[in-house]
Amino acid sequence: MYYENTDGVSVHEGFPNPATDTSLQSLDLNTLLITHTATTYLMRMSGDEWQILGIFGGDIVIVDRSINAQPNDLVVWTKADRFTLSYKHTVDESTAVWGVITATIHQFRKAQR
Amino acid sequence: MRQPIFALIDCNNFFVSCERLFRPDLENKPVVVMSSGDGCVVARSNEAKALGIPMGAPVYKWRQFFKDNRVVQFSGNFELYGDISRRITDVLASVTPQIEVYSVDESFLGLSELKIDDYRAWGRAVRDKIWQWIGIPVSVGVAPTKTLAKLAANHAKVHPALNSVLSLSPLPPQPERQRERFILSHSTAKNRVRIFPSDSVKGLSFHAWLRATPVQEVWGVGWRLAPRLQAEGVHDALQLSQLRPQHAQQLMGIHGRQLVAELNGLSCYPLEREGKAQKSIARTRTFGEDTGDIGSLEAALASFAAKAAFRLRVDHQLARRAGVFATTNKHKPGYQVWRRETYFPVPTADTGKLIASVVDLFHKFYNPHVKYHRAGVWLQDFVPVDHLQTDVFGSVNVAAEGRSKARMQTLDSINERFGRGKIRYAAEALGNKWEPKHRLRSPRYVTRWNELPVVHTLK
Repeated sequence: MYYENTDGVSVHEGFPNPATDTSLQSLDLNTLLITHTATTYLMRMSGDEWQILGIFGGDIVIVDRSINAQPNDLVVWTKADRFTLSYKHTVDESTAVWGVITATIHQFRKAQR
Repeated sequence: MRQPIFALIDCNNFFVSCERLFRPDLENKPVVVMSSGDGCVVARSNEAKALGIPMGAPVYKWRQFFKDNRVVQFSGNFELYGDISRRITDVLASVTPQIEVYSVDESFLGLSELKIDDYRAWGRAVRDKIWQWIGIPVSVGVAPTKTLAKLAANHAKVHPALNSVLSLSPLPPQPERQRERFILSHSTAKNRVRIFPSDSVKGLSFHAWLRATPVQEVWGVGWRLAPRLQAEGVHDALQLSQLRPQHAQQLMGIHGRQLVAELNGLSCYPLEREGKAQKSIARTRTFGEDTGDIGSLEAALASFAAKAAFRLRVDHQLARRAGVFATTNKHKPGYQVWRRETYFPVPTADTGKLIASVVDLFHKFYNPHVKYHRAGVWLQDFVPVDHLQTDVFGSVNVAAEGRSKARMQTLDSINERFGRGKIRYAAEALGNKWEPKHRLRSPRYVTRWNELPVVHTLK
């Protein structure tokens, strides 16, 4: 593109190379999966009881403690001294919720490192 | 200028609280965390304190007691504690950028820029936030000086009625006669600040509590100054606050004068915002078993030197002095301590150079018939990397220093990429005897993919 601006100075402006734009960043899964880094913990699912929800044994469970649990949230809570998973509305009112599950990660193949 | 006001956020039994976060079954049980090498107790749950286990208790003496009283023991899981500490700092920094991270479990906040009507309510909100968001119980002390904030947090921690929060707010000049008025100030202080506790514990006012606080528990007094004060008849925090400023200065220098002013509500210690560049770095350890084996000892010292050197390079510093110490078991007869140090005309952060010096120093006192219990390496007398000065003879070999620096950068970047300790100097890799026993360490829940906490199914 070639034009003269109002000062009478000619400007050559090609299509900008996006690769030189330092603000450009590749997609980062952290920004998708974790909103609050300080209050988010990762856990590992054991057993296939929750297959029906698409959560399998070995999956990573992402838990954010800073979210106020709503009735339809999946939550981690403590039962018989162990962490377990349920919908909030099924958890006994008197039981403290440990954190709200925001996502799970199921890997079909382990990443090669 | 606004009246300064500070909060101290102090984690309760921090290491134990970190362990409990992922072990709900440990609630209400006595728990202790041991130093690396399982040498002594470094953190106790309230239940463990109630059993009379003192801080620093040597583990080998207490083993039977732990067993008899079902005390749950952990080897220190310092990756876990470090990560949780960072999370707490992040949350506090979102409250205000005026933060001084004082230690792994304590931070001061500067509150004078914040609009807060009720400091007690504010403290409770912070306490609840850290508890809900991170899962760690904290105590909060609010006061016009850092020294008082620290005392207030301690007070709040030990008196359940305060619910972990105590505010000593400075109030406007007109005294409200109805409230418990509390003036720490000695009558000589001109612009004294009147301080009003937000709560008083039944039967123990803050005033009385100060009287019950031994002088060595006041922040900045410690074991070194305490005897001097006690010799002058100053045994508790209240007496210290009533010391005449001149007298305090005679006893403790300018620091003493400031300390007394701080106790009277006049702030002398500002928030230290910059990450403090360390004045010395030490890496020490109690061995898994006492040893006289030269190979194991050299390996241990080399590893300490390498770790200290790494830290030095992270801080962009060079050291002029390095030292070694070793001791036999303090609790066995014939306890002995050895120390040697050396001076580098050209300051260095080179792992190879430091390992060589440290091993040399050790050989100056090494005796194969001695069973060493504990050893360590320290580095001191730092200069910033950018200010590499020549010694008086100008004998810096610039080319060699350049090569050394490049080598260190390679080593550090490889270790960063593949995990600490992947590349080591040969001396470091010699023995394993000295490596701490991690037998009782909990999983590194937040720093290792294969050690995450597990969500169980109900069936």
